[in-house]
Amino acid sequence: MKTDPTFVDTLRLGGEFDARMCMNCGVCTALCPLGLEILPRKLFRRVLLGDHTAVEGQETTIFSCLLCRLCEQNCPGGVHIAENVRTLRTYLNREVHGLAEA
Amino acid sequence: MTDEKSRRIGVVVCQCGGNISDYVDTEKVREAASHEPGVVSTQVQMFACSDAAQQDAIREIREKKLDGIVVCSCSPKLHLATFRAMAERAGLNPYEYTQVNIREQCSWAHTHDPAGATAKATGLVMAGIARTARSQPLEPIRVETLPQALVLGAGVAGLRSALALSDLGISVHLVESSDHAGGQVMRWGDLFPHDKVGAELVASLVAEVGRRENIQLYLGTELVEKSGRVGAFSVRLRTFTGDQIPLKVGAIVVATGFEPYTPKPDEFGYGLPGVITLPELKEALARRPKPLVYGGREIRSIAYIYCVGSRQSADDGTGHAYCSRYCCSATSHISTVVNGLDASVKQYHLFRDVRTYGKYEALYESALRGGSLFLRYGEEAPPVVRSQDGALVVQVKDRLLGGEEVELRPDLVVLVTGMVPRDNAALTRVLKIPVGQDGFFREVHVKLRPVETVVDGVFIVGTAQGPKNVAESVQSALAAVSKAGALLLKGYVDLDPQVAKVDPNLCVWCDECTKACPYGAIDRVAYGDKEVAEVNPILCKGEGACVPVCPKQAVSVLGYTHEQVTSMIDALAKEAV
Repeated sequence: MKTDPTFVDTLRLGGEFDARMCMNCGVCTALCPLGLEILPRKLFRRVLLGDHTAVEGQETTIFSCLLCRLCEQNCPGGVHIAENVRTLRTYLNREVHGLAEA
Repeated sequence: MTDEKSRRIGVVVCQCGGNISDYVDTEKVREAASHEPGVVSTQVQMFACSDAAQQDAIREIREKKLDGIVVCSCSPKLHLATFRAMAERAGLNPYEYTQVNIREQCSWAHTHDPAGATAKATGLVMAGIARTARSQPLEPIRVETLPQALVLGAGVAGLRSALALSDLGISVHLVESSDHAGGQVMRWGDLFPHDKVGAELVASLVAEVGRRENIQLYLGTELVEKSGRVGAFSVRLRTFTGDQIPLKVGAIVVATGFEPYTPKPDEFGYGLPGVITLPELKEALARRPKPLVYGGREIRSIAYIYCVGSRQSADDGTGHAYCSRYCCSATSHISTVVNGLDASVKQYHLFRDVRTYGKYEALYESALRGGSLFLRYGEEAPPVVRSQDGALVVQVKDRLLGGEEVELRPDLVVLVTGMVPRDNAALTRVLKIPVGQDGFFREVHVKLRPVETVVDGVFIVGTAQGPKNVAESVQSALAAVSKAGALLLKGYVDLDPQVAKVDPNLCVWCDECTKACPYGAIDRVAYGDKEVAEVNPILCKGEGACVPVCPKQAVSVLGYTHEQVTSMIDALAKEAV
């Protein structure tokens, strides 16, 4: 995987993205009512490493998320998972689909 | 020596509450002992070490005017000191006491064979009686101590030792081989966990040393010779101009520090522009560059590779197997320093395990909060660093992505190098203190005597003993000062009299014992018209390396003379028939 240290900065133009305290424990994945396997921990790690292709390749998953916050309520690292997902959606809308922000 | 026939020996057989008596017939052992010549008192006790049993033994010693006592119980490691003190309270010379181990070396080892265990215990007791029948009273060797100390190395540990010794009223000769005080820490910038600057920390210590009238600092000077004994060593220093300075000191504190590990050429790309070590980064950041520039290039991202030169499990044994302790905390900390200079710099930590133990865990958390990314690699798949079109490329298999290879393009690669011992060969020859397998100076006991060496009066502190951070170096420095202070301020020290002794009439000076002695305790002296070996009882440890090499049986250890050991073997052999 090629990394891009500036990717997360680009992402943050569209909102908050903070997964610093994610310890990859997997509580989020285990609790997800939709069973979204890649979300959030694996995807967040790729985002932090700057793998924008991972974001673009997981578009369906990113938009499938119900934003129910079950994962967020139980995250031992206190990561604002739903907010991060919103930011990923903003990025996809803006950078991939050329949609202006509302 | 007292004639063995006229000896009055008491024997106490301990049951150890069943530990011994479940397997050894203690009454039978007592009965056998009571028939030995010279034995005038025998007892069986449930617990010989108990207060009541000791009172019984003391009464017996006094009433029957015993001149020797044998306690058959556990290992001398456990209760030798107990029963020596008991003998002394009864008015008996403590070296007229013999401990016979019938627990660890008998009952516990032969639980399947009570008859055999009883026979063996009887034999061991007979041997103990035989040794006691030929024992001599010995007096501790009391020697004077001088309130002067030599501290080798003027880094943080040495400076702090010198100041604390000075506080106790002990004069200090502080010797530094380089041309400046301060050691490694002086070059480093912010130190964890309090962000105090290394150079300032050292400067405050050096200034304080300068104010003390009882500390003499010698720069560019080395220790070249040491003789004498604990409490009164004769040492010789040599300055860089070749001057010799003779001194008398009571104790020596070795604070000679460490060397940062230098990576081999090409080890993780070492040698490529932009690949540096942790100490080099610390030194660079001490100048607080803004913007962050190193070697002419602007730094936007940094990759740290942990455990370089530490925790190596090379089959050929050439690596450094130990953890260097300070580096995880130092790197977590330095990443927050980088953040403070420029929060937009991206930092990647390629680690094996994060060992920010104790309070330093907070440093790891602040590194995480600062946005540092931690990628774990295994020793079997270390990161690869290479140069491509003038840029650095680091490839690492990230465990959290199931071992997927991640390619980083950092502007700076920092090899988190550990601590390695300095080349201590010359100093080891002079001081005769051992180094461990790792090459650092070795303490007597890692938990119970962590700053003492096998040479009484020589202490090891700071990173000369092993990897430590600054706080731990100072802790060990102050520990050694308390040991040295206790030694020197009392004014005297009592040494164990069970040391080797040469019979000059038998000795023909063949030099074998001198070669065998690890402590340099044997001198060549004139005796009548010949030369003989003579043991310096103050340097001798009584371990007996000289005894078996002597072709004339001229040397023996007091308390374990040839006569005593031979009679013990005879007693054991007699029982075995």
